[in-house]
Amino acid sequence: MPHLAVNDVCAKYGSLEVLHGIGFEVDRGEVVSLVGPSGSGKSTVLRALVGLTPVTSGHVEVDGKKIDYGSSQAVKAARDRMAIVFQQYNLFQNMNVMRNVTLAPIKIKGRPKAQVEAKAIELLDLVGLSEKRDAYPDQLSGGQQQRVAIARALALEPEILLLDEVTSALDPELVNEVLDTIRRLAREGMTMILVSHEMSFVREVSSKVIFMDDGKVVESGPPAEIFDTPKSERARDFFGKILRH
Amino acid sequence: MDYNFQFNVIWRNFDTLLDGAWLTFQLGVFAFWGGALLGLVGAALKTYGPGPIRFLVDVYVVFMTNTPALIQVYFLYFGLPEVGIRWSSEACLLIGLTLNAGAYLTMIMRAGFLSVRKSEMEAGEALGMSLVQQIRYIIVPHIAKSIYPALANFFIVILVMGTSVGALIGVDELTGTAINLSTVNYRWLEYFTVIAGMYVVLTFIASIGLALLGRWAFRVKARIF
Ligand SMILES: Nc1ncnc2c1ncn2[C@@H]1O[C@H](COP(=O)(O)OP(=O)(O)O)[C@@H](O)[C@H]1O
Ligand SMILES: [Mg+2]
Repeated sequence: MPHLAVNDVCAKYGSLEVLHGIGFEVDRGEVVSLVGPSGSGKSTVLRALVGLTPVTSGHVEVDGKKIDYGSSQAVKAARDRMAIVFQQYNLFQNMNVMRNVTLAPIKIKGRPKAQVEAKAIELLDLVGLSEKRDAYPDQLSGGQQQRVAIARALALEPEILLLDEVTSALDPELVNEVLDTIRRLAREGMTMILVSHEMSFVREVSSKVIFMDDGKVVESGPPAEIFDTPKSERARDFFGKILRH
Repeated sequence: MDYNFQFNVIWRNFDTLLDGAWLTFQLGVFAFWGGALLGLVGAALKTYGPGPIRFLVDVYVVFMTNTPALIQVYFLYFGLPEVGIRWSSEACLLIGLTLNAGAYLTMIMRAGFLSVRKSEMEAGEALGMSLVQQIRYIIVPHIAKSIYPALANFFIVILVMGTSVGALIGVDELTGTAINLSTVNYRWLEYFTVIAGMYVVLTFIASIGLALLGRWAFRVKARIF
């Protein structure tokens, strides 16, 4: 049984349907990457998984158990198991790093403060920011903010981490520090769904790559297969364009 | 001018004036915090409430900001007894000022609700926050920080202008006390000179307090003048 199964999911913004029946599976400890042209619906897949964009049909299962996105209780439960990191980090501007990381586990999940803080210190160490505990987001570089955002997501102890183009808002020299953090998580066996345009990185860390276009999965498979011998015209076209420069 | 200022009588009654100043200060603080709470609820309902509730908030704001605070307090003090509700003059003043401040603060805080970054709210939602939790942990600090100067100014307005309305229904706040005392010995000019100074001192103390609070709690570098 896969850890996460996405079956024929459709999602809408208002009346505009942007996912037209998406399906894929993720095993425990696996890193799966979503790639495809801008506007193809990659972000929406991640947003739908955590209930930020309404799922209108199809279903999602975690460990074989269906998530009912119509029920706020179930959405809460889904958010317990999956945490998302956004392209623009979206840190809480009026809180320091430590509070950004510990707020949700303490105030929302009601976990013991001392335990959460110990864990947060560990996580900030993992992302290489132990020195910045008391800094505010506007005192940090983009790369540092993004690593705080990753620590904040991990503090909830999710089973699956969703990463949406976490390096594309960063200056080139800051990209590696964030990729290193993700590599480390992958080595530690974190299950992750990654949306990224860093194709060499995707090839390196993913066990499966899903190529999307226009709200649908066009093809999926091991990275070598998808990148080197894509079956579909659209994938060939897309990789041809982005790998050429 | 051949007016002969005589401040001796005033110093003899200075304790009474100090009591008045203290009451003014308390009324200002309570009306402001009560109004801030009302304003927060009003702005939240105006932003996230269903249509009819949003309409009611509009009615409240329009009604309270387009009529004089004096009339609102009169309404409570002289109007309510007609329907059998009788509150003390202090209670009428405090409730009237709080409702009035609540309307202004609904408008002021609404700006904060509109200017909060949507992405921060979404991050909160993805972390499992309910709307109320998002308001509490994301919007309130944002409001406190981004419109702190407007809030601080408004506090001064209530403290000085709002509370003095009490003089007209017999509340012994600073202005009312001065009026009472001066009717005894006709030293109007002396009394009003002295309480003008006391208002300035009160405002000064409040401004310093607010600036320190803002700096400590919200990293706001507020100017005192
Ligand atoms: N908040 C939104 N409201 C309306 N349409 C949106 C919104 N966000 C994205 N879309 C549309 O949904 C489609 C998929 O977007 P998205 O999932 O962000 O694509 P990707 O992440 O692959 O670039 C696009 O056509 C985009 O214009
Ligand atoms: Mg996207």
